[in-house]
Amino acid sequence: MLADTWYLFLKYTKITMRMPMWTLFTLIQPLLWLLIFTQLFKNVVDTSNFGNESYIDFFVPGVLVMTALFGSSWSGVSLLREITAGSVDKMLVSPVSRVAIVLSRVLHSAAQVVIQVLVILLIAWLAGAQLNLDPLSLLLTMVSVFLLGVALAALSNGFAIILQREEPLVMIGNLMTLPLMFLSTAMVPKQFMPGWIETISIINPITYAVESVRAVLVGTPDLGAYSFGAVIMLIFAAVSLAWAVSAFNGLRD
Amino acid sequence: MIRVNGLTKIFSSGLKAINQLDLEVRKGEILALLGPNGAGKTTTIRVLSTLSGFDEGEVVVAGHNVDVEPEKVRCKIGLVAQQTGVDYFLTGRENLELQGRLYRMPKQEIVKRIEELGEYFELGDALDRTVMTYSGGMRRKLDIATALIHKPEIVFLDEPTLGLDIKSRQSLWQYIRKLNKEQGLTILLTTHYLEEADQLSDRVAIIANGQIRVIDDPETLKNDIHGDSVILTFDTDGPEVGDFTYALHDDPDIKDIVWDNDNIHLYVDDGSKAVPKFVALATEKGVGIKTLQLAHPTLDDVFLKYTGTTLEDSGEEEGEEWWHQWAGKGGGNGKWEKNWQKWQDQLDETGTEEQKSSWAEHAQQWQQGGDNKQEATPPQQQSKEQQGTDWQAENKNK
Repeated sequence: MLADTWYLFLKYTKITMRMPMWTLFTLIQPLLWLLIFTQLFKNVVDTSNFGNESYIDFFVPGVLVMTALFGSSWSGVSLLREITAGSVDKMLVSPVSRVAIVLSRVLHSAAQVVIQVLVILLIAWLAGAQLNLDPLSLLLTMVSVFLLGVALAALSNGFAIILQREEPLVMIGNLMTLPLMFLSTAMVPKQFMPGWIETISIINPITYAVESVRAVLVGTPDLGAYSFGAVIMLIFAAVSLAWAVSAFNGLRD
Repeated sequence: MIRVNGLTKIFSSGLKAINQLDLEVRKGEILALLGPNGAGKTTTIRVLSTLSGFDEGEVVVAGHNVDVEPEKVRCKIGLVAQQTGVDYFLTGRENLELQGRLYRMPKQEIVKRIEELGEYFELGDALDRTVMTYSGGMRRKLDIATALIHKPEIVFLDEPTLGLDIKSRQSLWQYIRKLNKEQGLTILLTTHYLEEADQLSDRVAIIANGQIRVIDDPETLKNDIHGDSVILTFDTDGPEVGDFTYALHDDPDIKDIVWDNDNIHLYVDDGSKAVPKFVALATEKGVGIKTLQLAHPTLDDVFLKYTGTTLEDSGEEEGEEWWHQWAGKGGGNGKWEKNWQKWQDQLDETGTEEQKSSWAEHAQQWQQGGDNKQEATPPQQQSKEQQGTDWQAENKNK
């Protein structure tokens, strides 16, 4: 199974490498958020009692998670394309492990997100964000982002199999991503939220991804807070993946 | 090599795609499943290649039951599906290599096999170009090559030449034939091209509505319809056509009558003798013949005989005229009577006195003999008509 996953992962990586523009395009939206949103909100934040962090420092973890969200939520679309193109049948008719087919796609998507996040981090650093960029913090950040990528890509693949059609899948993707962002602590801290949003943010897994990344990247690293967020990410990823695999096994008509 | 007993597959929509299908594919043969779109060809292939489950029956492929040991079946088969499953962004070589890896072949063996297949299919330098740059024919060849990478015993080809131009199609036939002759590969292919089934296969299975209607080698099937076929179309669809067909039923020289939309196919021993007779009869009944075609039976005629429709038309809704049923196909769920009424009304409105009296005479005759109103058979026809759809078969035995 691992070997199967590896060869399929290589295939997807090769394909991605052959169209690097696509990977870059998915970076545009998070970049716009990072550069425009921080400029726009800078003064609002300055006039409020936001604490002593600058808004960009606070916001960078949110943008990183947003990158993961935008980057991996479309993984299912390409699965549908592969099903239509016959590639999936070609795999299914071989003795390849069925788990490997889903796993390789999800891992590839998550790995791609990690690269994107590194690019965003670099740009944030150039834009003057004060972040902890020591190797350990970076590594822990990547672990969190990777797990989130796995979870979201798995969900996207699962939905793709259940919906079987591209249009509703894209619609659900669009419908989910923005609210998930706004209803988490990606943009504003808890104390600034109205009560009902705060309640939702507690059950929103995105919150925990943001909090874990923020715990290591911004201010004094807090490993306890990180671990809590990371463990929730791990559970989120595992459950989503299991669901996607079981959906895929039910694909046989 | 393949044994299918009583295979039934019902989709979740309730559609019965395969209905009690029996099939046996012998080792080393090319068997063509010939049928229109929606006949169940692809579904059958999908079940045999472990991609689809099924509801009833037993399927054994290469010595293993597909339901019990799908893994073992997968190692022994190759599938070339309708859509080319090769990746456009990878090179030919990378596609082949990946496929080899998925079959858990060791690296050296994969490399060796790629050389062999590249040479066999004359892919040459194209192997190292991305598939995006390939022509349709080359993509097909690569697709077949990927299905052969692990040296399967059976290959399923689902519409292998669909969408290819004549030249690529013929060249692909060469490859397929060679694979079968030289390497003893058992091939099950589906097609809706008559020529493909005729030229390529050792045996043809005609499939319609999820059932195999007949299976034999193409020559025997064609010889089964001895003699010639005369195909007529008329320049009218008035009652006189019905009258004409009715008269044809009495002709002992006609072995079979099959309607296909507005064409009537008459199967006779000697076409050149029969044609003048038909023309004379048509003149007598006042039917204008628009076109007349005399031909030796083709696989299309075989198809028509066993499915009641030609391959080209079978995908469409059957716009069946009422006299088609009359000419031997029977049934019709009361459509017959409705049309009968329509004809009578039409006659009352526009018919000449002569036609009306002839009609009245006919009607009287038929009512006397027709206990079964649904069939409304003329007395002298009863023995034939009672057989309903078996009328064709009965004629064959005459």
